Amino acid sequence: MTTKPRLFLALAASPLLLLTACGGGSEAASGGASGAPGTVKITLTDDGCTAEPTSVTAGARTFEVVNEGASSVTEGELVNSGGRIVGERENLTPGLKGTFSLTLDAGDYTVQCPNAATESSKFTVTGAAASASGTADPLFAAATQGYQDYVEAQVADLVTATSAFTAAVQAGDVEKAKSLYGPARVPYERIEPVAESFGDLDPLIDARIADVEDPSTWGGFHRIEQALWVDGTTAGMTPVAQELDANVAKLAELVQTTTYQPADLANGASGLLDEVAKSKVTGEEEAYSHLDLLDFAANVDGARKAFDLLTPALQVTDPDLVTTLTTQFDTVTGALAPYQQGDTYALYTTLTPDQVRELATAVDALAEPLSTVSGKVVGAADQ
Amino acid sequence: MSASRPSRRGVLTGAAVVGAAGVGVGVSALAGRDTATTATAAAGAASTVAFHGARQAGIVTPAQDSLVFAALDVTSRNPADLADVLQRWSEATATMATGVPVGGPGGLGGAPGEPPQDTGEAHELPAANLTVTLGYGPSLFDERFGLAERRPANLEELPALPGEQLDPTKCGGDLCLQACADDPQVAFHAIRNLVRIGRGVVTVRWMQLGFGRTSTTSSTQATPRNLMGFKDGTANLRAEDTADLDRFVWVGGEGSPAVDQEWMRGGTYLVARRIRMLIESWDRASLHEQERVIGRAKVSGAPLSGTKEFDALDLAKTSATGKAAIDVAAHVRLAAPETNGGMRMLRRGYSYTDGLDLATGQLDAGLFFIVFGNDPASQFVAVQRKLGAKDALTEYLKHTGSAIFACPPGISAGGSWGEGLFT
Repeated sequence: MTTKPRLFLALAASPLLLLTACGGGSEAASGGASGAPGTVKITLTDDGCTAEPTSVTAGARTFEVVNEGASSVTEGELVNSGGRIVGERENLTPGLKGTFSLTLDAGDYTVQCPNAATESSKFTVTGAAASASGTADPLFAAATQGYQDYVEAQVADLVTATSAFTAAVQAGDVEKAKSLYGPARVPYERIEPVAESFGDLDPLIDARIADVEDPSTWGGFHRIEQALWVDGTTAGMTPVAQELDANVAKLAELVQTTTYQPADLANGASGLLDEVAKSKVTGEEEAYSHLDLLDFAANVDGARKAFDLLTPALQVTDPDLVTTLTTQFDTVTGALAPYQQGDTYALYTTLTPDQVRELATAVDALAEPLSTVSGKVVGAADQ
Repeated sequence: MSASRPSRRGVLTGAAVVGAAGVGVGVSALAGRDTATTATAAAGAASTVAFHGARQAGIVTPAQDSLVFAALDVTSRNPADLADVLQRWSEATATMATGVPVGGPGGLGGAPGEPPQDTGEAHELPAANLTVTLGYGPSLFDERFGLAERRPANLEELPALPGEQLDPTKCGGDLCLQACADDPQVAFHAIRNLVRIGRGVVTVRWMQLGFGRTSTTSSTQATPRNLMGFKDGTANLRAEDTADLDRFVWVGGEGSPAVDQEWMRGGTYLVARRIRMLIESWDRASLHEQERVIGRAKVSGAPLSGTKEFDALDLAKTSATGKAAIDVAAHVRLAAPETNGGMRMLRRGYSYTDGLDLATGQLDAGLFFIVFGNDPASQFVAVQRKLGAKDALTEYLKHTGSAIFACPPGISAGGSWGEGLFT
């Protein structure tokens, strides 16, 4: 489902965009094309969709998508030769039309209309060879590089903070270890989906007792958390602390050579929100220290980072979605803000059921539109 | 009345009879390319209720077997967001009512990298006479959306009433969605998808699943039994009683109270009450006590003043000893139009259970009572005030949830539920 509040906003002009005439709103289709110079009309019918004209020269173009009575088709897309949607209009019920604008590079494209008898037709852009100005490709490249840098930086922080934490554990200083536990959790929680992509590494670092087959083999952050908060002692924790350091070091090594697809960023952001909904907002993650909101905020930070990096590219293909997600991210951040206390957050156990529900609702409201991002970026279909 | 009544399931020719009241059988006109979908739509055509029309479906529609009722709150502060959700709800419901997935025949699939538009659990099930009925709660008309001036005078929070012990988590709501279908999975699918569409703008405040209709809303239907084991709704208003529907149910109907908000013309008010039955106590009551309390014979449904289910109540009838045949505190006496100035209303409730009352180990079950009328204060409120104080049945009941909603009129194809209120 694509959530598109039909807000009539003047979109921020990006260098890649002509100002769109219509911020996602649809209007009743009048007969005939609007005929503005440079406008390509895409007509949707139950039989298929065609562009008029079928070939244009490279440059700025506005596409007008018109549903002329198609009952099974409500969406028109322009797809580049790499199979990525570079512009689309959705939710066009019979009689509605909508527009999108972009700067086109030369190449073979297709006009697509899911659910029609014939779902695609050819569209050609002639003229200058592809430049870096026209498609979202360089934007995606910048996003994935930015994410790689972010992950490496977070893991570097994780190594530093974890070794401070484990040093206190090995020194037998319970209070100091407790104070250093939260700061070590934050960088991990921000990039958790990346850690999860390395098979056993995430369970070794971050398993809760309910996640392990044999409790006698249980290690990682939460094993030490239990010792500190429940047993009030670091007795027997030295090997667990050393193993945690080793696993975090392994993670640091692995991320040096890991590259990401745009869909990894999108799916990672979605995954972080699912983490929040499943175990943070329920108070299950930090069952002994009750620092769940700290993890919650870190998960949201990580998701927001991925989204921010994808924003320039998404702004080209789906500016409405950017607006929606920005609003919902702000709502979640705003909902968390009252619980922030310096570098940490209020304990989960101090929340009332109504406060928990408000947070959970905000997370669900964000997670729903966020789940549609991966479909908008290259490589999603190959996952 | 004919003695041979159709069975509860599967006979829906009655829907055609009530076309005059804005409900008819709609046949899917979908030009689906997906043969499976097309076949499903064709097979389900006999079990569809038109979504579009002068009145909302799900009011005088012959009561389906299952209910999923959701009360929602609007979390956004932007009226445009709400209007947009109402528009998308209208589109999705029109689609689902024909047995087609949200987003059209392709709504189940789509891009591998995106979540499917439709959640999928109703695929290959017939439309099962799905109806979704929308209502606006009084709280929607506060300062948030600038709708204060548009609140109908009849849409007031219900006053405290005798016999209630309300749970605040099962009361109120800015909006309601009443989904009814002959298959509980179809009804749930509808609510689930609508909630999903609204996510970020609305949240569910409370929800109630109902199984088994407890009312008859068409003369084509046999009278069902509620969880007390009694026939319920024998004297209910019916789709065929068009003059009484105009007078008592539809806003602006012939003989109805004056219309103060034009956007409500053709609509009605919905009162929902979650009425827990104290099942264990009831089951310990003797047959005589049960019949005295209700005022009808348990097996036949006949009033205690008569011999057959549809015999008119004779409230004056006494036995040889001078005792009233229908007890002075009997439920049917106190609820009858004859003792309420001729006032009638359209009941459309469902049996419910929510498992156990953990505090006592007793069954949490009863009647999710839904009633439609154009003047709730003189209808439900007036009757319940009397029942709560005098009705012998009150001893076995506890009203635990309560809400009132204004249901706007129906919409035509391409329209939006919110059009009357937001334009």
